[in-house]
Amino acid sequence: MYAFDFEKPTTVAEAVAALADDEAQPLSGGQTLIPTLKQRLAMPSKLVSLTGIAEMQGVCTNDAGQLCIGGATPHAVVAAEAASKYPALSALASNIGDPAVRNRGTIGGSVANNDPAACYPSAVLASGATVVTNNREIAADDYFQGLFSTALEEGEIITEVRFPVPQAANYQKFVQPASRFALVGVFVAKFADGVRVAVTGASNDGVFRWTEAEKALSANFSPDALNGLSVSADGMIGDLHGTPEYRAHLIAVMTKRAVAAAS
Amino acid sequence: MSVHRPTPHDSARLHVTGAARYVDDIPTPAGCLHLAFGQSTIAHGTITAMDLTAVRASEGVIAVLTANDLPHANDVSPSIHDEPLLATGTVHYVGQPLFAVVATSHTAARKAARLAEVTYDTKPAILTIEEAMAANSRFEEGPRVYTRGDASGAIDASAHVIDGVIDMGGQEHFYLEGQAALALPQDDGDMVVHSSTQHPSEIQHKVADALGLPMHGVKVEVRRMGGGFGGKESQGNALAVACAVAASLTGKPCKMRYDRDDDMVITGKRHDFRISYRAGFDHAGRVQGIEFVHYTRCGWAQDLSLPVADRAMLHADNAYFFENIRIESHRLRTNTQSATAFRGFGGPQGIVGVERVMDQIAHHLGLDPLEVRKVNYYAEMESADGGLSAPRAAAPLPPESILTKKKQVTPYGQEVTDFVLHGLTADLAARCDYEARRVAVAEWNAGSPVLKRGMAITPVKFGISFTLSHLNQAGALVHVYQDGSVALNHGGTEMGQGLYQKVAQVASGVFGIGLEQVRLTATDTSKVPNTSATAASSGSDLNGMAVLAACEALRARMADHLAAVRQGEPADVVFEGGLVRVGADEMTFCAAAKECYEGRVSLSATGFYKTPDISWDRIKGNGRPFYYFAYGAACSEVVIDTLTGEYKVLRTDILHDAGRSLNPALDIGQIEGGFVQGAGWLTTEELVWDDKGRLRTHAPSTYKIPAASDRPKVFNVALFEGDNPEATIHRSKAVGEPPFCLGISVLMALSDAVAACGAAYPALDAPATPERVLKAVMRVRGDA
Ligand SMILES: Cc1cc2nc3c(=O)[nH]c(=O)nc-3n(C[C@H](O)[C@H](O)[C@H](O)COP(=O)(O)OP(=O)(O)OC[C@H]3O[C@@H](n4cnc5c(N)ncnc54)[C@H](O)[C@@H]3O)c2cc1C
Repeated sequence: MYAFDFEKPTTVAEAVAALADDEAQPLSGGQTLIPTLKQRLAMPSKLVSLTGIAEMQGVCTNDAGQLCIGGATPHAVVAAEAASKYPALSALASNIGDPAVRNRGTIGGSVANNDPAACYPSAVLASGATVVTNNREIAADDYFQGLFSTALEEGEIITEVRFPVPQAANYQKFVQPASRFALVGVFVAKFADGVRVAVTGASNDGVFRWTEAEKALSANFSPDALNGLSVSADGMIGDLHGTPEYRAHLIAVMTKRAVAAAS
Repeated sequence: MSVHRPTPHDSARLHVTGAARYVDDIPTPAGCLHLAFGQSTIAHGTITAMDLTAVRASEGVIAVLTANDLPHANDVSPSIHDEPLLATGTVHYVGQPLFAVVATSHTAARKAARLAEVTYDTKPAILTIEEAMAANSRFEEGPRVYTRGDASGAIDASAHVIDGVIDMGGQEHFYLEGQAALALPQDDGDMVVHSSTQHPSEIQHKVADALGLPMHGVKVEVRRMGGGFGGKESQGNALAVACAVAASLTGKPCKMRYDRDDDMVITGKRHDFRISYRAGFDHAGRVQGIEFVHYTRCGWAQDLSLPVADRAMLHADNAYFFENIRIESHRLRTNTQSATAFRGFGGPQGIVGVERVMDQIAHHLGLDPLEVRKVNYYAEMESADGGLSAPRAAAPLPPESILTKKKQVTPYGQEVTDFVLHGLTADLAARCDYEARRVAVAEWNAGSPVLKRGMAITPVKFGISFTLSHLNQAGALVHVYQDGSVALNHGGTEMGQGLYQKVAQVASGVFGIGLEQVRLTATDTSKVPNTSATAASSGSDLNGMAVLAACEALRARMADHLAAVRQGEPADVVFEGGLVRVGADEMTFCAAAKECYEGRVSLSATGFYKTPDISWDRIKGNGRPFYYFAYGAACSEVVIDTLTGEYKVLRTDILHDAGRSLNPALDIGQIEGGFVQGAGWLTTEELVWDDKGRLRTHAPSTYKIPAASDRPKVFNVALFEGDNPEATIHRSKAVGEPPFCLGISVLMALSDAVAACGAAYPALDAPATPERVLKAVMRVRGDA
């Protein structure tokens, strides 16, 4: 690690002010950022911890019936508190990493990081969630912009993520057995006005929507509706854990599994 | 007497409380320095410049050593001196140590090691089997070939012929305790080294050469390792030598331990193999002729590759008698880590080759693979009453008919006189209800389009002894103190396998005292010299016998004295239940020891053992390399998901031959662990190198070893009890490596499950990752 300053504000406004410095960076659970710093892959001048900000913590339901999760809420809290309100999201959170990761890592950190193998981005995209920051609201479809890149501006922090709650949903994660990250993860969410399918782990462009499947499932929400549909291996990740062809194949299987589990 | 009893591991309490001391736990004297290697970043080339200015200037750095700074030998090879401690001009793999940093802390050394500016003249690297064959890059002048009969003619004359190829990956040892060494400079230039090694005498030898000392100037001590698995047979040399040289140059204690990533990148692993084969057989699956070609990537240095590849050839028959056989073995030199010893030492790779052939023959003929295996088995050993084995008798063996004798000879000329797999397999098949379950699996599969189950029984026959015959020797040193406590020392090292406990049981039996009165002391080259590595499963066989000899010598001296004082016969003195009885006189063992001490009896003795009756010519491929064989069989049932290739091991039943087990609890532990490690090798453990020769799987986040939750859900392990017909220590059998091969049952069960998906043969390579299983399913279904 290189040396850095550290601040732990208690309000979003203070955090935003602290982040105005050049090279300042937010720190939430540190599950991604701390290893990055240890490897000297980043050199922030200042870390601004977001975990002391009460308004960024917790899970509640707003008047529109959306599940609102504070940006600094750890995965374990989401797993516990969303269980009755949005079971698929709770199940996703409860399968991230290990207990240490789930008790430190936060939804804001995960969504801000947008790791191609992370779980949350698929839930955010499939739910058509809204990413709320200190100065705007960003629709999921506009938020994710490729590997590790998002619509966030310098110094902008995710204060909340608002999830419309679908009629039915399920997340299927095919784990890479060593790290237990998603080799392929598919989140399927069925709303009154249609079905959304988001895929993580697989694409060189990060999380994406499988629109062909969405169309078929919106017409007929059953695994059979996916018969004959497949995803091209072009643009899929090929690495030591799996070929592009294998990942493309798994997308179709995981989507069917998710639909079967949700319906 | 505690021999044959399931007593717990002597360090069990220490292990589970975290109090067991490993090298890195030893309190170091003040001023201890720490080492780290700077490593090559390319697979092959010459170093054109190495600028270490920034390394030397880095915080906490005391010294930086290159090859030129080494005072004497620059060699850590266990075989032909082709492995410099620090590179000399040419680099041969990514990770090769180029220089050593000596610093005030582990972290300071590691940080500094990354600051070197090294420029290379890069040369093409030989990474794959194809590249090595094309370049004729190999150890030895050409392939080794062992033959008997006319394999090719017999195959051509057979009713049925199959051929094929199987690739099987290497394996990282993943000992929980990484490599570590600590060197403590002594009076007058001598050196004491604590090393996490299976081979203290070799560490002593290498350190002595590096320091220009006779071996008596170096003492190596090993209390225990946190796992070795063969990975600490030669791979600890570099750390011990580097520490000793640094300690000698600085006059300070020096310590080194590899970080896990460095450990995986620097050290050698199990040899990966490609085996191509051709076999001819009759309608029952009886093999008429069989040919194997073994290709193995040995990495950049010879290390132990020749005996490893030899042992693969010596296990190409596994449990099967082949009249006509030809085995050709290519030991390829590649620009990768120097592949090294790993539990089974090539044996498992040879066995996988022939088990694949048995599986494919059965598939070709539509027979139960177990039937094909059985018709090819060696003939069962005959017991003393003339019947077949079980219950097994000790020697003498009955005279054999000429016919049996012919049938009983391995391709390398060793008679198989102790074969028990007919009885053992039948016993296992009955215990696990093999036939009924196979029918049930077939029925289940018929009604299950997505999930398919598979089952397989695979046997193992494993040759016990070092193939380098002179290594089959061991020494021991035993002291009886005047308070009746007994201290034992021998050349074997403890790596969690329970060797110390087994040997302590042997000693407690001789003296008739409790285990609490016997203390095994750390393996120490100054107590017992010229020892062999604790390897080849031979630890208890060799060291148990050496300790037995020493203890019996001491007991005889004690009996002589105690009897003489009482005008009795030494032969009538009884050591039992902590007591010594001489005629009507009875005393505690402690009192007896005190009396002997006061009677001026020498209460210290050495013991020595060498395995009898073995001889081996590895060039001719002929002789009796093994004192005996250990046997076992496993039945595994798996279920695969034909949509993704995922699978689970549902149940495994094992029956394994440990002879008259010295300690059934420890032996079952070895069998369970061996099976799980063997199954891991063939399923989840995948080593991946990129096209630059960089190992991409160098941490648990990318390399998956089996965890407790990956063991079969139903896991029944039993011992096939019976005396070893050879006069081994209390008629037991070696148990370290053979059960590793039982993991092959999982690969074959997966093959069986895949075969249920269609008509073609699965030809499943290892490790059978889900992606490979899925590909095999598609191939078998004809939609690949
Ligand atoms: C062993 C292990 C296993 C894991 N397994 C999984 C898994 O199975 N599935 C999965 O999805 N993930 C997994 N993860 C990743 C884990 O979920 C992420 O590390 C975590 O979610 C990131 O959140 P954090 O709070 O720790 O972020 P931090 O590490 O603190 O920050 C990550 C990045 O986001 C920025 N950031 C943090 N908070 C905010 C915010 N509120 N607004 C804007 N920017 C912010 C930081 O500046 C930094 O760039 C695993 C991690 C580990 C270590």
